[in-house]
Amino acid sequence: MPPPLHLALPSRLLPISVALLIAALLVGGTLALSAGDAASRALGLSLALGAVFGVILQRGRFCFVCNTRDLIDQRDPRGVLAILLALAVGVAGYTLVVGAWLPVPQPERLPPDAHIGPVSWVLALAAFAFGLGMAISGSCISAHLYRLGEGSPTSPFALLGTWLGFGLGFLTWNTLYLAVIAEAPVIWLPHHLGYAGTLAASLAGLALLAAAALAWAGGRATHDAAATGSTSLARAILVARWPAAVTGLAIGALSAASYLRVGPLGVTAEIGSLARSAASGWNILPDTLHGLDGFRGCATVLKETLLSENGLFVTGLVGASLASALLAGQFAPRRPTVRDVLAGLSGGVLMGWGAMTALGCTVGVLLSGIHAGALSGWVFLVASFFGLLAGLPLRRRWVPV
Amino acid sequence: MSLSRLGSIATAGRLALAASTVCAALTLATPIASAQTSPPAGPLVDAEWLSKNLDNPKVRVFEVSVDPGVYERGHIPGAVNINWHSDLVDPVKRDIVAPAAFEALLEKAGVDKDTTIVLYGDNNNWFAAWGGWVFNQYGLGERVKLLDGGRKYWEKQALPLDTKAPSYAKTDITLPPAKPELRARLVNVLEVVDGKKDAVIVDIRSPDEYSGKLFAPEGSKELSIRAGHVPGAKNVPWSKAVDAETGKFKSKEELKKLYADAGIDGSKPVIVYCRIGERSSHTWYALSRILGYEVKNYDGSWTEYGNSVGVPVINLAGTVWQGK
Repeated sequence: MPPPLHLALPSRLLPISVALLIAALLVGGTLALSAGDAASRALGLSLALGAVFGVILQRGRFCFVCNTRDLIDQRDPRGVLAILLALAVGVAGYTLVVGAWLPVPQPERLPPDAHIGPVSWVLALAAFAFGLGMAISGSCISAHLYRLGEGSPTSPFALLGTWLGFGLGFLTWNTLYLAVIAEAPVIWLPHHLGYAGTLAASLAGLALLAAAALAWAGGRATHDAAATGSTSLARAILVARWPAAVTGLAIGALSAASYLRVGPLGVTAEIGSLARSAASGWNILPDTLHGLDGFRGCATVLKETLLSENGLFVTGLVGASLASALLAGQFAPRRPTVRDVLAGLSGGVLMGWGAMTALGCTVGVLLSGIHAGALSGWVFLVASFFGLLAGLPLRRRWVPV
Repeated sequence: MSLSRLGSIATAGRLALAASTVCAALTLATPIASAQTSPPAGPLVDAEWLSKNLDNPKVRVFEVSVDPGVYERGHIPGAVNINWHSDLVDPVKRDIVAPAAFEALLEKAGVDKDTTIVLYGDNNNWFAAWGGWVFNQYGLGERVKLLDGGRKYWEKQALPLDTKAPSYAKTDITLPPAKPELRARLVNVLEVVDGKKDAVIVDIRSPDEYSGKLFAPEGSKELSIRAGHVPGAKNVPWSKAVDAETGKFKSKEELKKLYADAGIDGSKPVIVYCRIGERSSHTWYALSRILGYEVKNYDGSWTEYGNSVGVPVINLAGTVWQGK
């Protein structure tokens, strides 16, 4: 493995200055957009929420693969507990929001824009492929986006692979739609359990998973750095990894806030839209993608405007993660190896195909879906977990840690 | 008296001052409630009047927006959401909502015999006007009004929005059968084209759709396999009836001139159409409700006409259907 590209800096002044410049650009962009009309204000909010998401992901090391791997390999449950807490807080937050919008979960009515997808074996297969892909590439799509900000050598190739995978997904969509997805039920749990029942069942399910994670960890839970009291507040916020509880609470709250004001959290809509526009421009896309635009989820659209809500969300995410990594001294670019490139590309293609076919990824379907009370979110969680388990040995063989 | 006692008296004084300030603010706010007035005559209400009548039990506001999800993230306080895809149409056949379903919608929203109904929506009241056409067919007539400027003007005035879905005591109303005279069918359009009836046909689509350069705007799902327009139809795009900045209808005089310049002066019955019959309701509203002309909306519109076998078509651009 080639040596890391150490940045020969005279001091920490440069990274801190660059971080502050990026922060200023993000704040300035948000202010400029927020001063416009209603549509522009939503764009400004998307940029700000993306930036907040980027900081939480980077500071909390919120990554579905690494957190699960930490639990499996190191028996460290902190990351997985952060994910489960984020799911629990988000379910509660969504219940508050949706309960105000649709006081009674009437049949045939779904909460607007919520990521509630069709449930079938195609979803399970897509989620399994996604899990396999994220294990091989080392991260899910959202984590690759924040790792882009950390200078990861794999992430650019994983995102390129994701973009290609989306193209493959468009090519197989019509066949799968006509064979299976068109008839697949869209199951929103509050229709069957009510809001209180859905909240109770979701929290119980998450509590069971937390108990299982703690049992597997066998009491080896390590203390969070901030909890030891050995670090100053600034260091705890800017440098040390955030405690799992803080990260989980923050992600859950951000998800509900984003749903209230802009839309469910999701990171693949922009990548998918770029792939769809490119494929359409090259005339390799089917003339019609049956039924696709009728589904909610990380919906892809042909790009008509430069600035989209999801595009700005992702921009904010990557920018803020870069600024956060620079401040923490965690911006560590390294020259990619052939293995990095191959792992990124192949894992990315699997993730892209899976995310397109499942109408989203770990953030769009799993996190936002479970928050919204979608059965599709739970199916994605289980199937992607098994995909991840299947992929981890491949990753270990391919890219030794 | 101890210092701490003095301190507590001072605190109590501050609290009393704060309480009286709140009371004064509430007293000042009271005139807004008492400013409730009966709705202005005519088919439009303005945002200023509506903002003072949100608590008026005789006024019920409905949002009919093009984009689902707009209402939930903020609507005029107390407004009831109408989903045009499912609430105002028959879910199976191509038709307006059936009487029983429409009555149920109004009853659930607490609309009574003397309720003034205010409709508004996004996109300069595109589908709110279509809602107005449906409400008018069921005989609600003068009681139905559009909020002039719709969401656009309301937001421009920085008036408040709410995210709570309201609930109202259920009412019991019976509506008359739908008025057929507000609706044109293909046969009525062909009678005019064939010269058997005298009427003006107005095509409110874009000039490129009218000329036949475009079969439909980009991204439209509803298509016809012939492009062009109904012979004799005048082209006045719907958007010319509104002020682009505020979304409000132009003044009655400006509207009169706009349509008179195209040969539509109310001396003959009018038929309006677009692609699926929703946008043309906006022009129906301007011509029928604001100018008082006799107008029918052809809701089959170009998707029906341009797909009908054997009907005459004017295609200025000469486009040929290529199966794409």
